[in-house]
Amino acid sequence: MEDIKIVKGQVGEELFLLGNAAIVRGALESGINVYTYYPGTPSSEVGEIFTKIFKNVGINWVESSINEKVALEVAGAAYARGAKAMVGMKNVGLNVASDPFFALATTRPKNENSAIVVLVADDPQQYSSAVEMDSRYYLKLLKIPALEPSNPQECLEYTKCAFEISRELKIPVIIRLVTMVAHARSNVKLGKLVPPKLDKTFDLSPEVNVASRLYFLDLKQDQIYNRMNRALVKSENSSLNWIENENATNIFSLGIITSGVSYNYVIEALDFLDLKAPILKLGFINPLPEKKIVAFLKQFKQVFVVEENDAYIETEVLAIAHKNRVQTKILGKDPFSYSKEGSLLNFVGELNPTKVAFALIKITDLTPKINLKQNKEKKYETVRRRPVLCAGCPYATIGYALKKAIKKLKSDSGKEIYFYQDIGCYTLLSFAPYSFANVKYCMGSSIALAQGVARTDDSLNIAIIGDGTFFHSGIPALLNGIYNKTPILVMILDNGWIGMTGQQPHPGSDTHHYQDGNFKKKINLEKFLLGTGANISVIKRQERIKGNYPDRLRDLIYEKSYDVLEKRDLHIIVIEDECIQKFNQRNTLEVRYIDERLCNNCGLCYNQFNCPALNEKNDKAYINLNDCLGCGICEEICPNNAIYGGDNNEF
Amino acid sequence: MKKYVQTMQYMEEIITNSNNYTIVITGLGGQGLIRFLQIIGNSLIQKGYKVISSEKHGLSQRGGKVTCFLRFGEKITAPVPIIGSADMIIAAEKACIFDVLEFTKRDRSSKLIIADYEKESQNNDYPSEEYFIKVLNENSDHINFVPVMPIVAQYKNLKIINTIILGYILRFLPLSEEEIKKSINRYFKKDLIVLNQKALEEGIKLK
Ligand SMILES: Cc1ncc(C[n+]2csc(CCOP(=O)(O)OP(=O)(O)O)c2C)c(N)n1
Ligand code: SF4
Ligand code: SF4
Repeated sequence: MEDIKIVKGQVGEELFLLGNAAIVRGALESGINVYTYYPGTPSSEVGEIFTKIFKNVGINWVESSINEKVALEVAGAAYARGAKAMVGMKNVGLNVASDPFFALATTRPKNENSAIVVLVADDPQQYSSAVEMDSRYYLKLLKIPALEPSNPQECLEYTKCAFEISRELKIPVIIRLVTMVAHARSNVKLGKLVPPKLDKTFDLSPEVNVASRLYFLDLKQDQIYNRMNRALVKSENSSLNWIENENATNIFSLGIITSGVSYNYVIEALDFLDLKAPILKLGFINPLPEKKIVAFLKQFKQVFVVEENDAYIETEVLAIAHKNRVQTKILGKDPFSYSKEGSLLNFVGELNPTKVAFALIKITDLTPKINLKQNKEKKYETVRRRPVLCAGCPYATIGYALKKAIKKLKSDSGKEIYFYQDIGCYTLLSFAPYSFANVKYCMGSSIALAQGVARTDDSLNIAIIGDGTFFHSGIPALLNGIYNKTPILVMILDNGWIGMTGQQPHPGSDTHHYQDGNFKKKINLEKFLLGTGANISVIKRQERIKGNYPDRLRDLIYEKSYDVLEKRDLHIIVIEDECIQKFNQRNTLEVRYIDERLCNNCGLCYNQFNCPALNEKNDKAYINLNDCLGCGICEEICPNNAIYGGDNNEF
Repeated sequence: MKKYVQTMQYMEEIITNSNNYTIVITGLGGQGLIRFLQIIGNSLIQKGYKVISSEKHGLSQRGGKVTCFLRFGEKITAPVPIIGSADMIIAAEKACIFDVLEFTKRDRSSKLIIADYEKESQNNDYPSEEYFIKVLNENSDHINFVPVMPIVAQYKNLKIINTIILGYILRFLPLSEEEIKKSINRYFKKDLIVLNQKALEEGIKLK
């Protein structure tokens, strides 16, 4: 519904839009030609919306690319060709895309229309990330302009500004978001849609080609002393860097510098304390407006810098103050001390208005009208809820089978067994009752991590990687292991989709059931792997051949692990079993029931198998019918045939 | 209609006193809290309010806890309120209320709206009824239990909890039944509209 409105909404109409949806509208109001992305919370919705609407709005191309690097390259070349392009990713995705980004940042297409905007969404407090990472220091490395909106309306407007700056200066512009902006919903007033256009000519001048060192250094000179210099002039004069409450005064001679979502927290905290202070709100976060900052600092004895995570702005402000001999005291995180004592706000975790209010109380010694401390201390006994796999998730069966296989392997071989986890829903197998994780880095690491230990030890090393992650960045590590004959077991969990971030497709996904599927070609993982000449076994849940599936899986893992230990070579097991969320979009499965006469409460299903729909109740196993998704695995593992139902299901 | 006029006056007072009205909503992943925000937010915008909502969740898709905020008034505010400032706190699953009590006002005026839905915990640590009552009484003078489970049983659908709550809280919001129904039509899939309209009416009828 929202998706249609993003396209159909009239000029001046106000919609209740997600920050990410407002970005889409902003891009449509800029005449976007190409959007490429790799999913990652909190940025994925932008790509999902574009995928749904792109056929209707005449955009040239939208794709969910194999990884962020490829997404950036596809969009980068479209930009060189004369397109208005945009690339979306989460913070850590920028690490993956960073290599080609340096060349892209330096190139200077001649085409009038060319523009490229890179959307990067940070996740303070790592609500849905493996690490907490502030992407803003890339701005200094890449030397490109960046804008940071503080609410959905600004998401729309800043996206338009970013396209305009990039088009004019011919330099990529980053839009930096954080979760609380990307996932905030608010009134968004729409502007006018601009139809995409693309020139016929492709201007192949040296400026789009950094292959030659000579050009590169010339272009880099141009990037810094011409394009970034002009960006600085824009930043100094930009209405995106503005002062709120310009005439406010307070007895502390205190001013505030802030940007992005923190700006809202500052307003809220000041209101709460009945404190009036001018606020320099920075929307143009690179290059920072030196003159504007100096003029602002000079008005106060002390200035408090409020920002999420790293002290990026504060460090810059400290340097600017020093260079301009400004004596104003600069307060914030005290980035050079690496100490909590000097720091008014934390480097780690997310900000909120309460934290900002506490910091302001520390600075001013004001007594607030309400004692927040007492509220802060309210901690109650509460139900702990661990994140769990979905009921019916294929990984519950894999965890169950793996656990059994490992137990037997340990006692039969006497070897130590280590696990290397990757990033996806299966990461939940790292926790109790499975605990299959010893080392874990980032997407695509597991297969190489296993190799590092296998080369220094005679243990059994098992890498566990999802199909999405395998395509994203697991392939080079696998080929490395095959080529070097490194004795590890690689388990590729092929659930068909990028489950964790909302079941988006990857090159191995069978998308023909879906709207955009007809023009995609599924890569057959099995055939692809056979081409490497490696030892592989494939087990498919959907093929119900003799024996029950969890036991077959257990036996296969056992057998192939022994092969790895004895033959000292790499072995791959591909487990094909579709993500139940996606499977259930096309099929309705019937829930299972417990036959209480047959259940002797052995606990196998709810203790060892651990489907979240299974519990114990009144000394019997119990299936919560609201949660059960009808996968039927519990029926297969129950030794007493006490679980039934689902006779009409077809797998 | 009379009730509606009263609500409007009450709302105007709150909004002019503090510039905005803050609702904290808590529950479990999969309960549909985000649609709940969309429906209220969209209706409020149609009425000319400035609204902002946000969500905090980890892997909520997989049964974790979710906390959302919805704030409205004459201007857009922060997506997250300061603690001790919520006008209303809604728990779509009973025990989730314990996670957000820091948002209750110190003058005990925050309205607590609590559904009687209890989702069993994997650790057998569900709080006792006595503890529950004691803690709530420590925090507010306006505790509203919403008996959603009998309605859920009647319609055999757990997914309507939010819509029943929505019907219930309508008496406190500056929105009419028709206005909310319009948003329900907009945000639910076709085959769920009638069910949710009914759930809304059930909620409105509750004492
Ligand atoms: C570099 C990077 N990009 C994006 C993400 C966001 N992300 C988390 S898990 C995941 C992929 C999971 O897919 P898959 O390996 O198929 O596992 P599944 O979730 O389906 O189990 C992604 C893209 C990330 N963590 N790191
Ligand atoms: S069929 Fe059994 S294992 Fe599958 S979701 Fe239902 S209770 Fe869980
Ligand atoms: S989204 Fe799919 S892969 Fe992820 S936990 Fe749920 S069923 Fe499993």
